[in-house]
Amino acid sequence: MKWKSFLPYFLILPALAYLVFFIAYPLTQSFILIFKESDIQVLKVLTDHNFLMALKYTLALAVAIIPIQVALALILAVIMNKAFKGRDLALYALIIPLIISDVAGGLIWYSILAPYGFLNKVLINIGILDSPIYFFGYQFRNMEFLAIVLAELWRLTAPVFVMILAGLQMISKDYIEAAEVFGATYWIKLRQIIFPLLKPTLQTVLLIRTIWSMQIFGIVWVLAGRDIPVLAGEAYYQMTELKNYGVASIYVLVIATLSILLGALYLKFLKAEYLEVKT
Amino acid sequence: MKRAVLSLFLIGVLAFAVVASGCVSKEETTPTTSEQPTETETTPAKLIWVSSQLNPPEERAFVEEVILPLFKKETGIDVEFVPMSHDQILTRLKAEVESGKVTIDLVTEGEVAMRELAEAGLLMNLDGMPALTGRTFIPKFVEYGKMNGNQKFLPFLSGTYIMIINKKAFDYLPDGLTKEDVIKGTDKWTYDAFLAWAKKLKEETGSPKVGFPAGVKGLFVRFLHGFMYPAFTGSQVKNFDSPEAVQMWEYLKELWPYVHPASTTWDAIGEPMLREEVWIGWDHIARFKDALFEKPDQFVVVPVPAGPKGRGFIAGFVGVGIPKGAPHSEAAWKLVDFLTRPDIQVKFVERGFLPAVKEASEALPEGPAKILATGVTNQLTTPDALNVLIPGLGEKGGEFKDVYRESFKRIVLENEDMNKVLKEEAERLRALFKEAGWSGELP
Repeated sequence: MKWKSFLPYFLILPALAYLVFFIAYPLTQSFILIFKESDIQVLKVLTDHNFLMALKYTLALAVAIIPIQVALALILAVIMNKAFKGRDLALYALIIPLIISDVAGGLIWYSILAPYGFLNKVLINIGILDSPIYFFGYQFRNMEFLAIVLAELWRLTAPVFVMILAGLQMISKDYIEAAEVFGATYWIKLRQIIFPLLKPTLQTVLLIRTIWSMQIFGIVWVLAGRDIPVLAGEAYYQMTELKNYGVASIYVLVIATLSILLGALYLKFLKAEYLEVKT
Repeated sequence: MKRAVLSLFLIGVLAFAVVASGCVSKEETTPTTSEQPTETETTPAKLIWVSSQLNPPEERAFVEEVILPLFKKETGIDVEFVPMSHDQILTRLKAEVESGKVTIDLVTEGEVAMRELAEAGLLMNLDGMPALTGRTFIPKFVEYGKMNGNQKFLPFLSGTYIMIINKKAFDYLPDGLTKEDVIKGTDKWTYDAFLAWAKKLKEETGSPKVGFPAGVKGLFVRFLHGFMYPAFTGSQVKNFDSPEAVQMWEYLKELWPYVHPASTTWDAIGEPMLREEVWIGWDHIARFKDALFEKPDQFVVVPVPAGPKGRGFIAGFVGVGIPKGAPHSEAAWKLVDFLTRPDIQVKFVERGFLPAVKEASEALPEGPAKILATGVTNQLTTPDALNVLIPGLGEKGGEFKDVYRESFKRIVLENEDMNKVLKEEAERLRALFKEAGWSGELP
């Protein structure tokens, strides 16, 4: 009897050990790092110009990218959920960016958008432009922002699409067939059946995607350097260049806190609805 | 159920045993390796040479396929060349020296990085080593390698930052400035003349033709503290917020509209120079050497302009040192001897490096290497030369650069109030010198 009551704890032990070693321990360590350097004023860091800019750009990038990305992935998933000729090929083509790392993705987009990159060369050669459009440089920060949004849309729409497609395929055909019996149109099926049933998937997708967006780094670093500061980039800069380990820890903890907060918000406001329960 | 629990428990015990045995055997092996001093004095199986320099594939191939086989032929010693970043070297050496289990025999890094290693107590004293004969090192570099009177590292190759000019730009020289003035670095080749030239180039060609490597990894920050500051204020740090410095920043603000706007994304000037996006550039010689070797007829290497206080520039070098507790320090010293020998240095010069010993620069071959070396010599020998070295601030070196980088961003790019920025950044600058334990006068 006694053994039985211990068993559940025993079974969660591996997961717990993982969490302790890889999440709790580093988090505590970075917390300790902040206070190890006695002269660090947390408040000063959090009101610093560079920090505020990094926070602003991290959030702005998330706001600019995520809605478009999820909408795009949703449309693609709905299209790809139907059988048509060449579907498999289209599917493979769509998920190619999945295998490309953020730095490599950044470099690909850099070579497309650079002053003498593919895009400018094509536009100049066909006579649309006289001189190249500049996407990079401190004076062109809005263009740099645009370049990052484009690159992120291209790179991360694939995983979002895969998750949504999986969600779509989980929806039982029975519901749709039942709706068809009652003469529901395509739009009604989409609005009344597919979307509500897709909500748990969308919740997960948004949650994961938002957490990723708080960690955005490689692609920004490659395309804009520190012209567009982001939290993870500044953490890296503080750590490797300025050797301010404490300040870097503050940035990292801010990223963690933001992720947790946003996650909690999603869980609260995007409660999954199940048709069976709703009735 | 009981059985399941029991087997889980057993698995746990087994896993613990595996981990524990790993720990135990590790502890056992540590003393045995460090108790093998006899190995140090015999011919080593292989020397380990780590370097943050000579890392690009073709330079690495040159070291591995040309230089090291020669060494092997002479001494019979094998060397493994391991390219690494400075951070990797620092972390690894620290761990090795602290654990008393050093595997690295030789380190080569830029002079500031070497200084950081020396300050962290990771390099052995070279004073007790046999004398290196038949060569004259550049004295200023030897001096820089000393800490508390002890020689911690020696110069291996020298390097500097310089201006590179596309010959086309000479067609747009402003009034009163000749090609000869620029090439020789006469008193007419000043920052004011440079501004007039940049202005004329933009007005007459339609686009800015001056470029700097002002990207995240670019070295433009060195231009600010090691070239502009000495030229305008006479020093790198001391007069950071002086009236002369204000004059310098005003000059930069005036110059910037004639500088290519993509400069803030360039990490090196070679590519934009080759693409002819800009015609006048500035960078470290190592970073545009490839461009020069690709089209030697197109470019001229010239001294930098002079400011009111002289022609400020940084002359740096690659240092070579032996880690404290290196397993084969005697063999490593043989490699130091070999690498700094004039005939071997000449081989490096042919590849576009600059020698650290005087004897090697006397025997220069024709070609791009000569263009480079002539430019450097002209810069070094101008009468108003104001040669500075990057202050060795150890860990604080990054923040030192950040002060100049931030000042530039705030004053020139964001148009903030100059006096306010200089006051704030000066405080930070002085504080970091204090924190780094800088003794004596500020540079």
